[in-house]
Amino acid sequence: MPARLEIALREDLFDAEGAALVRKAADYFGYRLASTRTARVLTLDLGLPAEILEKLRTEIFTNPVTEVSSFEPLGPPADWIIWVGLLPGVKDTAGEIAREAIEDFLGHPLPPGETCYASKLYFIREAETRLSAGVSGEAMERLARELLANDLIHQWRIWRVKPGGNGDERPQWNPAEGMGVITPKVVLAHTPQVSEIPIGSEEELLRISAERHLFLDPRDAPAIRSYYLRPEVRHARGKVGLDLPTDVELEYIAQARSDHCNHNTFRGLFRYRDLSSGERAVIDSLFQTCISQPTRAIAEKKDWVISVLWDNAGVGRFDDKHFYTITGETHNSPSNMEAYGGAITGIVGVYRDPLGTGKGSKLICGTYGYCVGPRDYDGPLQPRLHPRRLLDGVIEGVRDGGNKSGVPTVFGGVFLDESYLGKCLVYVTALGIMPSEIEGERSDRKRTNPGDFVVVCGGRVGKDGIHGVTASSSIYTENIPAGHVQIGDPYTQKKMHDFLIVARDRGLIRFITDCGGGGLSSAVGESARFSGGVEVDLDRVPRKYDGLDQWEIWISESQERMVIAVDPDDCDAFLKLAERHAVEATVIGRYTASGYVHLKYAGKTCAYIALDFLESDFPQWEFDAEWTPPVQRGLTEPVISAPSDHDACLLAMLGRPNIASKEWIQRQYDHEVQGGSVIKPMIGAERDIPSDAAVLRPVLDSDRGLAVAQALNPTYSRIDAHAMTAVTIDEAVRRVIAVGGDPAHIGGIDNFCWPEIRFDEERNPDGKLKAAQLVRSCLALKSSCLAMGIPLLSGKDSMYVDGDLAGPFGERHRISGLPTLQFTVVSAVPDVSRCVTMEPKRPGDCLYILGATRHELGGSEYYDLHGETGDSVPTVNPHEVFGMFTAVAEAIRSGIVASVHGIYRGGIGVHLALMVMASRLGLDVELARIPCADDNGVDAVLRSDRLLYAESAGRFLITLSAEHAEHFETLMRKHVAVQVGTVTDSDRLIVRDLDGKPLIDLGCAALRKAWKRPFGALV
Amino acid sequence: MAAEAATSDQPGRTDVRVLVLTGYGLNCDYETEYAFRLAGATAVRVHINDLISGRERLTDYRIMAFIGGFAWADDHGAGVILATKLRHHLGEELRAFVRAGGYVIGICNGFQALVNLGLLPGFEMGSFEREVALTYNDCGNFRNQWVHLRALGSPCAFTRDIERIDLPVRHAEGKFVASPETLERLAAGKQIVLKYAKPDGTPAKGAMPWNPNGSLEDIAGICDPTGRIFGLMPHPEAFNHATNHPDWTRHRVLGSARMNAEGEGIKLFRNVVAVAGSG
Repeated sequence: MPARLEIALREDLFDAEGAALVRKAADYFGYRLASTRTARVLTLDLGLPAEILEKLRTEIFTNPVTEVSSFEPLGPPADWIIWVGLLPGVKDTAGEIAREAIEDFLGHPLPPGETCYASKLYFIREAETRLSAGVSGEAMERLARELLANDLIHQWRIWRVKPGGNGDERPQWNPAEGMGVITPKVVLAHTPQVSEIPIGSEEELLRISAERHLFLDPRDAPAIRSYYLRPEVRHARGKVGLDLPTDVELEYIAQARSDHCNHNTFRGLFRYRDLSSGERAVIDSLFQTCISQPTRAIAEKKDWVISVLWDNAGVGRFDDKHFYTITGETHNSPSNMEAYGGAITGIVGVYRDPLGTGKGSKLICGTYGYCVGPRDYDGPLQPRLHPRRLLDGVIEGVRDGGNKSGVPTVFGGVFLDESYLGKCLVYVTALGIMPSEIEGERSDRKRTNPGDFVVVCGGRVGKDGIHGVTASSSIYTENIPAGHVQIGDPYTQKKMHDFLIVARDRGLIRFITDCGGGGLSSAVGESARFSGGVEVDLDRVPRKYDGLDQWEIWISESQERMVIAVDPDDCDAFLKLAERHAVEATVIGRYTASGYVHLKYAGKTCAYIALDFLESDFPQWEFDAEWTPPVQRGLTEPVISAPSDHDACLLAMLGRPNIASKEWIQRQYDHEVQGGSVIKPMIGAERDIPSDAAVLRPVLDSDRGLAVAQALNPTYSRIDAHAMTAVTIDEAVRRVIAVGGDPAHIGGIDNFCWPEIRFDEERNPDGKLKAAQLVRSCLALKSSCLAMGIPLLSGKDSMYVDGDLAGPFGERHRISGLPTLQFTVVSAVPDVSRCVTMEPKRPGDCLYILGATRHELGGSEYYDLHGETGDSVPTVNPHEVFGMFTAVAEAIRSGIVASVHGIYRGGIGVHLALMVMASRLGLDVELARIPCADDNGVDAVLRSDRLLYAESAGRFLITLSAEHAEHFETLMRKHVAVQVGTVTDSDRLIVRDLDGKPLIDLGCAALRKAWKRPFGALV
Repeated sequence: MAAEAATSDQPGRTDVRVLVLTGYGLNCDYETEYAFRLAGATAVRVHINDLISGRERLTDYRIMAFIGGFAWADDHGAGVILATKLRHHLGEELRAFVRAGGYVIGICNGFQALVNLGLLPGFEMGSFEREVALTYNDCGNFRNQWVHLRALGSPCAFTRDIERIDLPVRHAEGKFVASPETLERLAAGKQIVLKYAKPDGTPAKGAMPWNPNGSLEDIAGICDPTGRIFGLMPHPEAFNHATNHPDWTRHRVLGSARMNAEGEGIKLFRNVVAVAGSG
């Protein structure tokens, strides 16, 4: 009989977790709880005698100063008791660690199958004004379902404590028995078996695809069938004992052909037509045309670009002795279903990319970007997870994943919009660093050789993580199997990371790559391309439990694993080192030059696929893209006059969810671990204003740094994704320039998240427009990158940001996310002590605005405040703005500026306010001096609200001492740069109209109050 | 692994050897090693398993650093499993190390491990009694922020000549808890080393954000009666360079900071390396 250990904080200690539940119950559902106490539960399914269990209780699992514990129910006073535990097979790190600690304590391993399970108890007291028991019971159910648990990964029980059947059906708590004993053990009464699958026709293949959730594209079916019918293939298969396709093979092909792995959309053929001008163009592969070719051309000219377009992350030169690595990912579909699990798996997963780049790089920082529905959404649609809850879970997932990886989370952003109710976006970016040479060889180069061992290390394979990539290449519906929901384990990965860095430095690694989407099939399959083949014994792959089928072992995306090619002569040293680091590493096969991926199980072949088949033979995807310009779509400028109460207008702008303070998110992210923090994500006198970019010193004894920033402006896509893209790139670059980045060394990461672009009259009637938006976005990406000399060091696309949500009448609504590009930029900083931050620092300094303001409010926050879109979307001349960026960089380098801040979403008004809030100083600004432009050039005249809230690109606010003004203006002589005001010691923002009268006159406290109103109380 | 000694030939290098304990989810090893290196010591990152297996020996070191991170993911209480493992495998060696005059610092997760090991407050040296605890922050969440600290008069070997210092905290379980009697005993024995303070140096009196976690008596760090064993929640190794401080860009413009200078957190390391080297 398993034992159940309950552990709780001593009664006199404050239970912060319980208090948080009380707060959320009130905030989210309006339930008034008097108090909640929590208890950890460890279910010990171990064959150990009572006296040993008692020792475990007192010596490991109970803190005598703060905790009480018992193998009997603790039962603090409560009206209701809720238990929440994991479903069988869901990653239970706390349970695994308990087992590890017990084994260490006992000094010997526990028998397989003897396991620990961690879970939670909540003891809830209602407030005096209690509802009837029946209603409270439903409230408890809602707390469990919508706050404490997710039915995809959790199970729960609810008991009422007080007797009396006031209409509530829930069982009564028995103080003697407590919750009983619940053991979520995985039992698979299944003998692994390889099935042969006849595919007599294409229809049959597609039927199989639907049954097995393979999501094969119908156009791929003929290529797959014809492969198996080829005489030479049949002959080769016959020699290894195979005839019909096996389930292992079809699952493998489906993984490899998924849009997620293969980027079929970006490699597709686009027939673009502008319905207004009649202009036509055919683009054969957006990837080649807009990403690969420009990047190669730029890389030719930039000697700091070390490696792009092939490895898990891009590689740039940091200094003579080090390279940095960078990549960005999204983890949208899993986060949409299980926010915490999806996000933690996302961040921990992207951290394996730099680790698997070159011969392996050590992680140095990460960033995040979340797009979700409005936090206070109360409309008629029913997303699986309410946006508020979804955002909570995503934030916490990245918190635990990042913090426990020992990697600082240095920058991030959140964007709230109803279009993300269908599917949320979770962007995660990772940077690493490695020595430029390892044992005399360039660290970015690697290959597998015939004869090398295939080693897998880290976690084990389980049922979790089946069909992740194929599911993310599809639209969210309730029929998607939930097996792909996982919970990342930063603990296991951190141990592996530390081990691999040591192994790398000892020259034990020939090739390394991460086991991400597609699992072993992708990691081993891709690494085998270097040697020209591979042979793997699937039965040697470590599994979490028995009963997994061969195909599951091959494609499961169970996390925290890397695949390494090890020279057989080094293998012993590699495995021994792994053991010293408590990391599991196993030889599972050998690289060959056979031309085949050859999989065996218990000596018998179960898959035999020609390597080149997966790279060729498949038809290119084709798309019709039809562009209807915004005016033809009926978008016009709204007719709104300037406000008479500018103070109230600015305060309303500051309280907009996409402008307001989100300190509570960044505050829970460790952004200083590793000791190299230079510019933090939040800065200023109160250390709570978002900085333009983050800067860090990744090599502690060097004064060189890396600046990192990202930008995302999806609302412009309502008008034109070309403008959205150009502005987003401009913003990201301007951000790193603002802190002191080097314009000659700017690398970009493009992360596209797009709704489905394939036209379907019924299901996707505006598919051709979405396709045209993608084409226009890619063309803008290309021209901006070429103009600014930005190689795309890495990038990723996630193409199905749509969801079918239930409406009020049982109908379903297709909700497509806005076409969204997150652009991340990394730049070198030659000397971190020259960096600048955005807050004005000295009263009396001059305030300059750089760059002209235009009538560009389409898609702006200001129009959104009024419920309008407009059509005057900001445009960018990337050549022109980049010339100014170079001049700003020179001004920063020469040390004459005191503060630099870019003007981004919200316009001049919002960004002046942020500078005042950051400084505890004042700004006194003359509106009439702000340089304006129209299509004919500078000197147009703009209305006050347009001046304050236009979102024109390429602009900065800069403060500097009057003694440097002449020098500064000389540096800026080719650019628009006008002194518009001064820094005061008044703690106020004053903006004066033409007559010198204050149009805006607001104190710092009022600005702060408005800016913190929506989210300031969150922790 | 680990045993790559920092081999910088800086002037002022002493022969003080520092063991920086790594592995199992600990994560401040590089910057702690770097901080000791700046302070003139020879710091070596050593994996817990290499210490247990005897491949590395505590007797070869004068200072032992328990660093920040998430040992065993902090599941089952921060620092708990690390403490259990060390008590179980290395109890005698640790006892001998501190009795022989060795110095120990525990930072953040390391402080949590030291109180769970019972090396702190260490009323009876080497008794391994747990008498204080670091529990969940009152705010209920992990927090990264800078705090102002004031040093009290104590025998602590790390805080000599330090009255006030700013450092970052980064933890979810940093609330210092002890019984009233224990608190009194700590105060009487001058074992309270650092307290959270307001910007002007006056006591935080439990108020957020100055006291970031609800610690009783604003306690941020304590030492054992000898002053050789020291634990604190804030991270001195994360203030190794002038540009780590959140106000540095303002200090530079206002002319009140030296750039490219060592961070003030290194003072703590210099102090202990000096006394360890002279003893």
